[in-house]
Amino acid sequence: MLRWRKVATIIRREYLIRVRTKAFWISTVLVPVMMLAFTVLPTLMMSRTGGSYTVAVVTGNDALYAAFERAIGERTAVEAGRGAGDAAKGEAAGPRAGDVVVRLHRVAPAPDAAAQRLMLKRQVVAKELAGILVLPETVIADGKADYVATNVSAVRLMGILERSVDAAVVYLRLTSAGVPAEKVEALTARADMRPVKIGQDLTESKEAAFEKSFVLSYILTLALYMTMMFYGYYVMRGVLEEKSSRIVEVIVANVRPMELMLGKIFGVGAVGLTQYAIWVLAAMNLAVPGMMGLASMEGSSALLSPLLLVFFVVFFVLGYFQFASFYAAIGAAFNTEEEAQQMQTVASMVMALPLVMMFPVMSNPDSTLSVVLSLVPLFAPVLFFMRMTVQMPPTWQIVLCLVLLVGSIFAIARLAAAVYRVGILMYGKRPTLREIVGWIRSS
Amino acid sequence: MDTHLEVRDVSKSFDHVKAVDGLSLAVARGAVFGLLGPNGAGKTTTIRMIMRITLPDSGTIRLGGVTIDDDVRERIGYLPEERGLYRKMKVIDQLVFLGEVRGLPRPEARRRSVAWLQRLDLAGKANAKVEELSKGMQQKVQFAGAVIHEPELVILDEPFAGLDPIATRLFKDEIAAMRARGATVVFSTHVLPQAEELCDDICLINRGHVVLQGRLDEIRVRHSRRCLRVVTRAGEAELRGVPGVAAVRALNGAWAVDMADGVEGPALIRELAARVPVEAAEPLVESLEDIFLRNVEADHAAVA
Repeated sequence: MLRWRKVATIIRREYLIRVRTKAFWISTVLVPVMMLAFTVLPTLMMSRTGGSYTVAVVTGNDALYAAFERAIGERTAVEAGRGAGDAAKGEAAGPRAGDVVVRLHRVAPAPDAAAQRLMLKRQVVAKELAGILVLPETVIADGKADYVATNVSAVRLMGILERSVDAAVVYLRLTSAGVPAEKVEALTARADMRPVKIGQDLTESKEAAFEKSFVLSYILTLALYMTMMFYGYYVMRGVLEEKSSRIVEVIVANVRPMELMLGKIFGVGAVGLTQYAIWVLAAMNLAVPGMMGLASMEGSSALLSPLLLVFFVVFFVLGYFQFASFYAAIGAAFNTEEEAQQMQTVASMVMALPLVMMFPVMSNPDSTLSVVLSLVPLFAPVLFFMRMTVQMPPTWQIVLCLVLLVGSIFAIARLAAAVYRVGILMYGKRPTLREIVGWIRSS
Repeated sequence: MDTHLEVRDVSKSFDHVKAVDGLSLAVARGAVFGLLGPNGAGKTTTIRMIMRITLPDSGTIRLGGVTIDDDVRERIGYLPEERGLYRKMKVIDQLVFLGEVRGLPRPEARRRSVAWLQRLDLAGKANAKVEELSKGMQQKVQFAGAVIHEPELVILDEPFAGLDPIATRLFKDEIAAMRARGATVVFSTHVLPQAEELCDDICLINRGHVVLQGRLDEIRVRHSRRCLRVVTRAGEAELRGVPGVAAVRALNGAWAVDMADGVEGPALIRELAARVPVEAAEPLVESLEDIFLRNVEADHAAVA
């Protein structure tokens, strides 16, 4: 029998003592900034991978060189985000940051191929050249060309060169087979597949680029997991603080351990919800660039539906409660943070399991394995929510998932309360089995 | 006697070491009860069992005739031996919180907290964090927190440890005030003059069992050996030869002379004066400390 007035007193204390700290407000500001940094920095870094490259092209075949030069002219323009037709205009406007500009330096093959190659290699090492592309006569037949460079992992440059060589070779093969030159482009045009996502209500959202929905799922799920961990850890620290300051001895005279545990979990959880509320309000009213960035990302508007936000909170609350019960029990079972640390590491590894399973589940959210795994209560907050971000599961699964999760929370909370009951008043010595039995019987 | 708190035949072992061994206590309603004993005697273990912080291996503990369970326990105010408060919390918030937890409505808890801070000379520290206070001040705050709900039974484990004389006086006055209000006060100490000053009843425990128990004045009479302090040039053997002398011990440049059964003080003084050159002779009143030491030594001798 719980006395909610006592629980409310504990909740009030736990809540106020945390919300009144500077640390709370600092983390409230810092977390979105960090999130923003995590999403924006990689983009910025990617855009810095452009640059200007001079590549020596060793070939004796004029037709091949011409085809290659044309192909690369189209490719660098395309890479820069301008249409192939705008290549000339782009040239006039000059390269922009993040563009890949390739300057070709044609070299006719010398009689002494080895000496020529050695000389060019010196230029590469001296950084006068980015690399040497060797296009022998035989490339048209066997498709084998060499690219010699110090850095063979410059992904974008390599991609451009490879596709240009490919295009040039195909062009020559087709024209020599009698295909009119002006028809080659039409014949070799790429076929694009457009991903179309449908929801349970059969509506199509065709812009939902999977790459972007992946990023959003990942960010949301990770945020869910991190906050659950973070606030769960808070609960453990709170329990340990009460134990080490011995205040628990004074409080349990008037508050049952179950009331104390629930008050603590609810109070700390309310702090977490407050933080979410601040973030959401700030994002809606102040148009925090990061949040807006997410929302305006192509196709993500469909993903960031109000329903999903509701489930985000639901899974945070349930998942947090599950984690927090574990952490409360761990805190109660040990005396110092150092001692608890080891157990806490094991626990967080177990709880990180769903993160490992995230990718398989994300790529195949409807497989039997994904469905079963995501229904396991321990994994559900992360995996089931992850499935929701990719594709809303059928209603019966949602109901089943929530029922299982709530049931599991009750079981875990009961168990945690038993450990808590025994643990909070044990100092130094491990409780004997007889003591534990005595406690359970007496409570 | 109207027994308020009754501990009957309680035992507790830790790792096969008996901390408390068949201990029984009876505390009268409205009395100030001193639980005395040397370090490691089992005082704190006994108190923790009364508070259900540890459970006894055997025996029963009753408050007003009812076995103490979680509900009954709420009627006890408790100051533990190891002091603990929320370090980051303001003093006033802490007291209001403790008052609320102990069942007071918030406005009432606040009113009493303010009054307590006034009485404890801490009014200026109401908005200080606990960690900013001296140990003595923290002890005052915790004391107020333990009794803010005016419980019928107050248990204080070593309440005077680490207090300066002013704070000690303050605590003694508060204990007297609680007694006047009709509350029962149990406190443990190994500082015997404090017990002598405050207690109606005492219980001396050693190695987990009761050595002496009862009303303080009765114990004084019953357990003080009938004894004289004698200043003389005579030696121990000469004194022992005097009829009516049971035993002789050295006592700070004088002798403590125990009277044999049936011998009265004035008669023995006359007898001594007649036989040895006595410079001074007077009845020796034993302090509680003497009684305590003698009984603890006897208790140890009983084992050896």
